[in-house]
Formats: sequence, structure tokens, C-alpha cells
Amino acid sequence: MMTGKISDNRSVAPGHFLMRLRLPSSFATPAPGQFVMIRAAAQGEPLLARPLSVFDFHRYPDHCVLELLYRVAGRGTALFSGMRPGDEATVLGPLGRGFTLPAGIRRTLLVAGGVGVAPLHFLIRSGLPTVRGQSPGAATFYLGAKSRDLLTGVEGLGGRCDLRICTDDGSRGHCGPVTDLLKRDIDDCDPKETVVFACGPAPMIRVLEPLLKDTLIPCQVSLEERMACGIGACLGCAIAVGGPGRKTEYRKVCEDGPVFDLRDILPVAPFDSREGCI
Amino acid sequence: MIATSGENRGDSPNLSVTIGRLDLKNPVMTASGTFGYGEEYAPFIDLNRLGAVVVKGLSLEPRSGNPPPRIMETPSGMLNAIGLQNIGVRVFIDEKLPFLREFDTAVVANIFGETVDEYRRVAGILNGAEGVSAIEVNISCPNVKKGGIAFGALPELAAEVTRGVRGETDLPLIVKLTPNVTDITAIAAAVEAAGADAVSLINTLTGMSVDIETRRPHLANVTGGLSGPAIRPVALRMVWQTVRAVKVPVIGIGGIMTASDALEFFIAGATAVQVGTANFVNPTAVLKILDGIEEYLVRHKMADIAELIGSLKTG
Repeated sequence: MMTGKISDNRSVAPGHFLMRLRLPSSFATPAPGQFVMIRAAAQGEPLLARPLSVFDFHRYPDHCVLELLYRVAGRGTALFSGMRPGDEATVLGPLGRGFTLPAGIRRTLLVAGGVGVAPLHFLIRSGLPTVRGQSPGAATFYLGAKSRDLLTGVEGLGGRCDLRICTDDGSRGHCGPVTDLLKRDIDDCDPKETVVFACGPAPMIRVLEPLLKDTLIPCQVSLEERMACGIGACLGCAIAVGGPGRKTEYRKVCEDGPVFDLRDILPVAPFDSREGCI
Repeated sequence: MIATSGENRGDSPNLSVTIGRLDLKNPVMTASGTFGYGEEYAPFIDLNRLGAVVVKGLSLEPRSGNPPPRIMETPSGMLNAIGLQNIGVRVFIDEKLPFLREFDTAVVANIFGETVDEYRRVAGILNGAEGVSAIEVNISCPNVKKGGIAFGALPELAAEVTRGVRGETDLPLIVKLTPNVTDITAIAAAVEAAGADAVSLINTLTGMSVDIETRRPHLANVTGGLSGPAIRPVALRMVWQTVRAVKVPVIGIGGIMTASDALEFFIAGATAVQVGTANFVNPTAVLKILDGIEEYLVRHKMADIAELIGSLKTG
């Protein structure tokens, strides 16, 4: 765990903030899709650190800079949004298993909704989809938000991929969900050479599964869940995995993920409201 | 070179304690369910420094645990309903214990079951396992043969489990008590009479939290176990009461986040402490607590932690 100093923490869209943290050089370079557990150094409450995906990362001769994009969703992120340059935060990470580029991929489709842009932004920035001599055009980024003022991370993507923007209210780009555009393009993709990387709200993830069902295109999706520790000890961040003919098991989002194969994860069942072992 | 006058210069205070027949080099343990099987924390801290590692609760067969959401943060604490997910006692022995054996730290196997027979069988399997220093029995689980009432809720049920496990093992036996009872000292006395070498308390307090927008509970299990600083005063009170009710050592657990929190428990009479939720907040917390206890003893010129244990001044 390391202590970093905030160099910048500003609102980039209503309710959305971008934090830049200066960290010692010994902080390990994150892989795209990895996350950190972050907590204000002076924080009493809330008690637990919050998991945030890496939005960008820069290494300099004597320090490094971690960028985190977050949406204010509760007490923890509300506290972060009030932090000022010079304030200190403790950072544990990088943690988890990120995205992997399967062999033989020539075309990358990135699908993000809202603040889900963060890990895919880092994926693009780190150049992962353009290894093996691909042109930037080989990556298509489907980026969606409720409205144009809630689109974040767009600036960093320019020139690195073919950007397709969607908004729910039509205030910019296609009017409708990102999956509309993906649906149009998916039939033209060779499943042996294509991969989908996704991160976004549950309804977006739920649409991806049937959309890709009849194709053989692999899809890696970054998930979030409440976490206490981030290192596999608390078992709090369980998600159900399985599939037809397979036993349902729980995996840890922090350690086995946060990136999972879309076809492995099971839809979240409504609460069964039982009382048992705790 | 200027000579310093402190009596403790070069002499660290003695932190070793004895829990029944279990000798610990220091009284700081990790609480079950908050420290995995130890290996999760090895990248962050030197496990050799710990008094003991208490591993995640083990059952006869593997358990997949409860559906998510499993945790929710609450004021000064958190609720969890993990559902005792674990790999099972045999896989623990084969796959996790060899790693823990490499360290000069006591390994306490926390066990649970749904019937007395299950408890006995898990204890019997652990009895022959090299590298297990003691068994901690979690009696907070529902007894499926007795309509789901927790073993730890009634003195006779708690004693029955303790006797059953006692009959299967020569290892030091710690019984971990639930606070969700009318009188924890009655349970403590019952397990002491049934052969427990020590008691540890408290386990989590049953709690609940609701999302008012969806009107759903925050946990899929509806209720969960509350841990963290929120429960510390309750835990401290119960430890203090229990110390006066039994002769066996009492291990204090409940919301210990700092050395000063731990010191309260020693002063109230705890022979050792377990650190739980703090491990989630900071993986190095347990070592900071250990260092802080030592510093306190030096500052108060105590040569042995025994001088502190039970030194509460009342009246």
C-alpha cells in the first residue's frame, strides 16, 4: 500500500471526476483492466477503501501518475470528489486480472457505457489493441452515455481508434444504446480475428450476451461489485459463474476478475431473501 | 555516545502469552474470515511476525457461499453474509497448510458444521494434520437438526459441540462465541465446563440494512454479520464480563483497528486479541497494532504484557 498525493481532482461532467495522483516510482505499472483500492489518508468514515479502475497511467523518471475517473455514487466517492490538490490518499494495487488479447486478433471492438469508459480508455491508451502491427482503425470504440454532457474520456481516444458515440437522448451521435451500433457491425466481423472488450452498466452487459450469442466472437467484460479488501480475502465481491450444464460457482471480482469472459458470467438472480449462515 | 536511561533499552517487553496449552510469541492474531488462508496477505506483510493466523472457517465439504450482494458498508462497520464459503478441510490441508507451515507463526484452524457430527469429523481430520497449532470452533452456525437455532445460542448446545470436538482432538481448543445471546457468560461457562481451553469473542452481531429506493435489503441474505469499530464497545463489555465468569483465557475480538483499541481489550482482561475488519482496510494493520502494543508497554515501563492484562481500575 502506498501513499499518493493528489495533483488534480476536477469535475469532467456532472457527477463525474478525474483524479490525478502522484505516486512513488515503486508503484507497479498497471495492466489495462486492473484496478486500485483507494482511500483518503485522513479518512475516518467511510471505513473501507473503494475499488476504482485505472483510467490512465504515466511513468516519469522519479515518480508516476495514476489517473482515476469516477462517478459520485455514494459516501466514498462523494468524499473523493471533495479532495484537493495536496491531499493524500492511500492506494493498494494494481489489483486483479485485466484484459488479455487473444492470439490472432486483428479487429478490436470496445463497448463502454458511462463511467465504464475508464478501463477501456486505459486499454486504448496503453496501445494493447494495436499491437502486432495493426492500424488504429482496427479498433472501434462504441461509447455511450445518457447525454452529451455525460460523455467522458473522449479526448484521450482521438486518433487511436474509430470512435462511435451514442447517447440515450440523441444529444450527440447515435440516439440509442451502444449495442445498436455494435449489432450493425458485428456480422461483418470474422469471429476468429475479432474480440469485444466491454465495461458498463448492467443493462448494457445484459444486452451483449444475446447479441454475441450466435457469433463465436470472444467478449471480455469488466465487472464491478462491492469490495472490502480487494485482495481476495473477504469474499465479499462474489459473482456467479457457470452456464448450461455447469455447476454455478462464485468467483471473486477482485482476484479472478474484474475482467471475465462474458459467456461465463450468469445474470444476477433476484434476491432470494433467505436467512442462513452469515 | 550518550547512554540512555530507559530500563527497556535493548530489552523488548515480553509479549508472549499462553492460551491454554497454546504458546504464542505475541498476543496478536488475525480473525477468521478476514485473512483468507494467510497467503492472500503474504505479499503485504511478514506472516512470521504474527502471534497466530486464524484461517477462514473450514467445513467438512467445500461450500460455495451465499449469492451476492454479500457485503454492505454501514456506519463505522460493515455487514457481511458470505455464507461461510470455503474450500473444505481436506483441500485446506492439502493445498493451503503447506504454505502456512513455512512460517514461524501458529496456525489456528477455525471450524464449523451444521451438525455436531460434522464438527467432530472436521476436528478429527485436523487432529492429524502437521502444522495446525489449535482449533477454533465457530458455534454461530445454525444447527440444522435443531430447527436452525445457532449452536452458540444455548449453553447446552454449545457444550455439546465443545464436548464432541474435544473428544476428537488433543489440540488446544478455542470456542468462538456469538454475541447474539442473552447472556454470553453462561455460554462461556458451559463451553469451559465442556473442555474448551479458551474462548474467543465476539463473532459478528446480526444486523440488516435496506436500500430505501428499491426497498430491497442491501444483502441478498437479508441479514448479515456486523463487524468493525461499531461493535467494539459491545465486544469490550462482553470480554470484560466473560473474563470474570470463566478461568480459561479470553481472546478479545471486535472492531480492533488500532493498538489503542487492542490495549483496551488487554486492560479489560483479554489474554490475546484478534484483528478482523482492519485487515480489509489496511493489509498491514495487524503489524501496526503489534508495534503499537510494544511501544505502549515500553512507554509504561512494563516488562511483560501480563502486567497489563486485566489491569482495569474500577471503583
